[in-house]
Amino acid sequence: MFQTDFNIILPEVVLAVYAMLALVGAVYTGKDKLAPAMTWLTAIVMVLIAAWIGFAGDGSHLAFGGMFHDDPFSRFGKVTILLSAAAVLAMSAEYMERRGLLRFEFPVLVALSVVGMMMMVSAGDLMSLYMGLELQSLALYVLASLRRESAKSTEAGLKYFVLGSLSSGLLLFGASLTYGFSGTTLFSGIIEAAGAGQAPVGLLFGLVLIASGLAFKVSAVPFHMWTPDVYEGAPTPVTAFFATAPKVAAMGLFARVLHDAFGGVVGDWQQIIAVLSVLSMFLGSIAAIGQRNIKRLMAYSSIAHMGYALMGLSAGNAFGVQAMLVYMAIYVTMNVGTFAFILSMERDGQPVVEIDALNLYARREPGKALALLVLMFSLAGVPPLVGFFGKLYVLRAAYEAGLIWLAVLGMVASVIGAFYYLRIVYYMYFGEEREEGLDGGKSPVLWAFLMGSAAIMLLGVVNLFGIEGVAQAAAATLVH
Amino acid sequence: MSLFLIVALPFLGALLPGLMIQAGRRICGMATLAVTLTALVGLLSHLPAVARGEVVQARLPWLPDLGLNANFFLDGLGMMFACLILGIGALIIIYARYYLERSDNMGEFFTYLLLFQGAMVGIVLCDNILMLLIFWELTSLASFLLIGYWKHLPEGRQGARMALAVTGMGGLAMIGGMLLLGQIVGSYDLTAILENREAIQASPMYLPALILILLGCFTKSAQFPFHFWLPHAMAAPTPVSAYLHSATMVKAGIFLMARMWPVLSGTEAWFAIVTTAGLITMVLGALIAIFKNDLKALLAFSTVSHLGLITMLLGTGTPYGAMAAVFHIINHATFKAALFMSAGIIDHEAHTRHIPALGGLRKLMPITFVFATIASLSMAGIPFFNGFLSKEMMLEEAAHTTLFDTPWLAPVLATIGALLSAAYSFRYISHVFLGPVRDDYPHKPHDPGFGMWGPPAFLTVLVVVIGVAPFLAEPAVRLVTSAVLGNAGELPGGHLAIWHGVTPALKMSGIAVLGGLLILLAWHPLSRAWEATPRPEAKTIFDGVIRGSAGAAGWLTQRLHDGSLTRYALIFMVAVVALGAHAWFTGTATAPNRELIPLEPLPAAGWLLLVTAAVFLVFIHRNRLLALVMMGVIGLMVSIAFNYLSAPDLALTQISVEVVTIILMLLALNFLPNTTPVESGWPRRIRDGIVALAGGIAAAGLTYTILVQNPVMEPISGYHLENAYKGGGGHNVVNVILVDIRGFDTFGEIIVLGIAALIIYALTEALLRGPVRARLIKRRPDQPRSGDAHPLMMVVVTRVMLPVMLMVGLYIFLRGHNEPGGGFIAGLVVAIAVVVQYMASGFAWADERIRYPYHGIIGSGVFVAGLTGIGAWFAGAPFLTSAFGYFRIPPMEEFELATAMAFDLGVFLAVVGAVMLSLHSFSRIARLADMPVNEHAMDIDPSREMPQSHPSEGRTEGGT
Repeated sequence: MFQTDFNIILPEVVLAVYAMLALVGAVYTGKDKLAPAMTWLTAIVMVLIAAWIGFAGDGSHLAFGGMFHDDPFSRFGKVTILLSAAAVLAMSAEYMERRGLLRFEFPVLVALSVVGMMMMVSAGDLMSLYMGLELQSLALYVLASLRRESAKSTEAGLKYFVLGSLSSGLLLFGASLTYGFSGTTLFSGIIEAAGAGQAPVGLLFGLVLIASGLAFKVSAVPFHMWTPDVYEGAPTPVTAFFATAPKVAAMGLFARVLHDAFGGVVGDWQQIIAVLSVLSMFLGSIAAIGQRNIKRLMAYSSIAHMGYALMGLSAGNAFGVQAMLVYMAIYVTMNVGTFAFILSMERDGQPVVEIDALNLYARREPGKALALLVLMFSLAGVPPLVGFFGKLYVLRAAYEAGLIWLAVLGMVASVIGAFYYLRIVYYMYFGEEREEGLDGGKSPVLWAFLMGSAAIMLLGVVNLFGIEGVAQAAAATLVH
Repeated sequence: MSLFLIVALPFLGALLPGLMIQAGRRICGMATLAVTLTALVGLLSHLPAVARGEVVQARLPWLPDLGLNANFFLDGLGMMFACLILGIGALIIIYARYYLERSDNMGEFFTYLLLFQGAMVGIVLCDNILMLLIFWELTSLASFLLIGYWKHLPEGRQGARMALAVTGMGGLAMIGGMLLLGQIVGSYDLTAILENREAIQASPMYLPALILILLGCFTKSAQFPFHFWLPHAMAAPTPVSAYLHSATMVKAGIFLMARMWPVLSGTEAWFAIVTTAGLITMVLGALIAIFKNDLKALLAFSTVSHLGLITMLLGTGTPYGAMAAVFHIINHATFKAALFMSAGIIDHEAHTRHIPALGGLRKLMPITFVFATIASLSMAGIPFFNGFLSKEMMLEEAAHTTLFDTPWLAPVLATIGALLSAAYSFRYISHVFLGPVRDDYPHKPHDPGFGMWGPPAFLTVLVVVIGVAPFLAEPAVRLVTSAVLGNAGELPGGHLAIWHGVTPALKMSGIAVLGGLLILLAWHPLSRAWEATPRPEAKTIFDGVIRGSAGAAGWLTQRLHDGSLTRYALIFMVAVVALGAHAWFTGTATAPNRELIPLEPLPAAGWLLLVTAAVFLVFIHRNRLLALVMMGVIGLMVSIAFNYLSAPDLALTQISVEVVTIILMLLALNFLPNTTPVESGWPRRIRDGIVALAGGIAAAGLTYTILVQNPVMEPISGYHLENAYKGGGGHNVVNVILVDIRGFDTFGEIIVLGIAALIIYALTEALLRGPVRARLIKRRPDQPRSGDAHPLMMVVVTRVMLPVMLMVGLYIFLRGHNEPGGGFIAGLVVAIAVVVQYMASGFAWADERIRYPYHGIIGSGVFVAGLTGIGAWFAGAPFLTSAFGYFRIPPMEEFELATAMAFDLGVFLAVVGAVMLSLHSFSRIARLADMPVNEHAMDIDPSREMPQSHPSEGRTEGGT
């Protein structure tokens, strides 16, 4: 019995054990001297585990009496999480080392938070949900304030922590209420207790509080306030990490809870998710317009993108989940590329985050500028780039679920949002002559990620790399 | 040739110029031309079939999940547009080959051009509206690259930005419209959509879909009120202007309106929006064009005007209007491309496009003069040129159109449009070519080589041929018109002819030509008047709107994200309360099904005390000491409440925890100011108060709802009550739960507790090594300290009490398994016993007497607990399985021993260690901060006000 359970969570165990061994090993040996090697090693380990999960995983299994799911949905989430985390690690090694930020705790913390995320997308119980969520969050709190000597970074980390605790508290409160009114913490039990159609008011409170806790994690408006500050304050590689893997995990967990535990009462949460989605899309799009700092801009951009992903979720059916998964996978790929570019933005060896610095960038670096152009258009959802298909998916999901107003508002928001992505392109190609342009940024790793991501945005139009089918299978296991 | 190949050819061919440029400009141009010509030949191979009225199709599923199929179809309309795109494309390529300077990167230019060409062909041939969207935005992308080709021109940048912003956003709006349309029909295939006129027009989503699609069309085709971007995009190289901004891209919107004509037209909304927009654009564009001094700007606004004309014709919704529109599309493409190329030639030769700097070119550039004049006359609507024919049809149609119940409105506006159109055409001829030859051209102009004048000349020939012999074009026009109409209208009778008799249209035309001549004569005074008239400049408005929205966005962001945590928390709370309210009002609450316990006076008094203390705390929280007292009251009342509700164990725990925390907080207060500073004004406090009240009421309401209902499931307490003695051998259920049933939790908890204490220790150490150290050493208390920090009385009493308290601890520990008590409480009690010593006799004195480091105590606690757990393995049971038995050692009574006791010992040790380590950390700070520290337990010197320096570790290192 235990043996079977253990085999199911083996990937998580391996990563957790690796992280702990790495921590202890580094403490007693070279400490920060080992950090670059450890960062790369962690990335490799993650890729290997992703491959393992992706290729060897098969069917649906339950472990620990239903607390842990191993099914196509969780595998989709895990592979996305692992690969994006590995990509961010690979991108950050050189950047952080050159700026003296690379401590050996960094890869360990990332690995631990990834374990938490893997747990999140696999959660089948309020307990495992919370465990995964907190493991992830605690590691992220520390990562956010990794740059200890910077007041901004520390402040951001503190804000994130305080608000994060508040949201965790609410989530726990919600979980307790849910337990109190259903008598079980297992999702499979909650869905029975909730019945079909309309949930009793106690469960509804539980649902609402859990949803607001999770909305904080996906940084959906109005629980998004930490995002811009943390994105700006944290070191850029950490920001890149924040923008990718944790979002997938939180979104996966959101989908899990809503469908596995509250799948019978779609009507009760559909409106809430739809409202969160609209607010996120609009606030993300509007607030980004005034930004001069590209990291803050990406923060608002990610808020808006989460709004779109939530739109898929709000459809409340299998197609909606499929749309959300496709959207998230595309979103993560675009963000990895974009952050590879942001990481390479520097002048005299110092990182630059002002958008103004991109003026006439195309003249100096036509290749990179073109790649960023592709990414920006894709983020804006302009056909024929892959980003467009993501938007199309969620819009259709909302439309077909009868949320026509949501789809229309989504379109309007995407038009507004296009403005600031296009402005970056405009600066690069037609900006004004400035003294202080960018120089350097010759890292081959970053270059490869930027170009690779842009190429995916272009080549993906052929068949989206077959991701649809996988996402469809994943969604089918979640929605019954 | 397969339709796939026709569409793919330009895309594949786009690779060629980049490669071929290595082999020279000639080869590069040839290769590009070959690609276009091959595609054109392939297209023409379908001409016979299309002429027979067949529809050529090619289908391939792409992302069927999304309804996205790579389907293409070719009918008359597609054929006409594809021919225009590829035909004019070929001419433009020849022209550009000679137009581009040696320094220009020709490979790049042709690559973009072919990309654009492919996208355009895709638009007109595809049979899936999602595909259409893709090609649609691709043209925006490619045009962006082409407009920005001359990156060094500042106005080029402005233009590119505006073009991109307007058409890009229009395209996104159109996605919405297309999705709605596809949803109504249930298919994204154009052929399917075109057959569902009734379903679409009856749908409630018709109007939103129409508006969104028209937004896309109007932005792309520069229709009012989006007409302003086109002239600004004219900074692009002339071949680009000629190709994109007159012949093809701006016609994409027109194409789509024509394509959708069978399903969208014919309704009130369509008529009102499209016709009005078209008429306004036609008049406005022409009016602005007259007074433009830049050759290309003049042509650009004339293009806007002519696009408006076509739009207006499509808007009328009659078959005759559609036919006139089709005919004018062909005619406009021919004469306007020729005119653009001629403007490019003049620019290329004279090095200026500024009309006042030109004039008299007739003698210097006779060839250019001839075809530019013919094209201009066609544009003006002079008989025997093709522009005349379609303009007549337009006027004829306008004469029968009633707009807003005013029969004269459309004809008058149409006539004015035609009049202004004639005026700027005449101006083009007279101000550029006629007049005296000047000697101050920036560059002496002469006719260019054949490569440059050949393409426009060819188009001019078409202008004349169609103009003289319209019957030659008639089959084509009829074919295309029938494709436009689909099955939504009958092909109109009658023939294309120059002479229809003296019709109203002819009269209107006559007025237009005469009026145009009059304007030309009075041009200079009119121009001065025009310059003097204030008028809204679209670009200024556009920039203003952009600035304004950016400002508004910035303001909103600043309001929401000013970096203040309070604000963030406020928004958070409001949102949660709102969500809760939503749940409350939408959910159905089950009726209360639980009896309320009658309220007795004593608990009521306690409750009142609790509430009063809490309320009071809110008001006096700035006085920190008083706040601590209130917290003590609250804690006490909570403990008593536990006791009252028959939970003595919890009460005991609560009260010991209260004592420890209050003492620790008291110590911390030593280093903080006595009062919390006031940082906020009244309005803000009231606002915060309201939010806090809302949150409190929500929480209270929620609690009440829960309390008045029976639990859904049997509470687990039953299980515990039943099994505590049977399985754990203890009567104290809480203790058995802690050490046995949920022993694993407790094990985790003591580890967490230990880690917390270690972190407090580590933080203190780090703090004392950092800059805080100096501040602590320099710190002077804000009020005089008592010289008698450790009163004799206290010292004596506490020392006498110590053994007693330790005994109590032991007692509580031992009885824990069966009576209220246990390791946790015992740990706290013992800790309190030691803390009291610290308080009474001084930190230094107490610290010296500690024999075992607190770290070690925590560690040993965890170790003992862990060992107990592991012990179970030797008995073949899982981790932490407990065992118990009854023993009798004379002379004692029979007593029980359980492994849980050992575990409890671990808990005990960990708790003692953790509390003491935190205290120790505080004391380290205190000793640095000049707190009165007794060297000896009873060194009392009431005469001193401030303690003198004492040898302490901080002092010796840091000095004073």
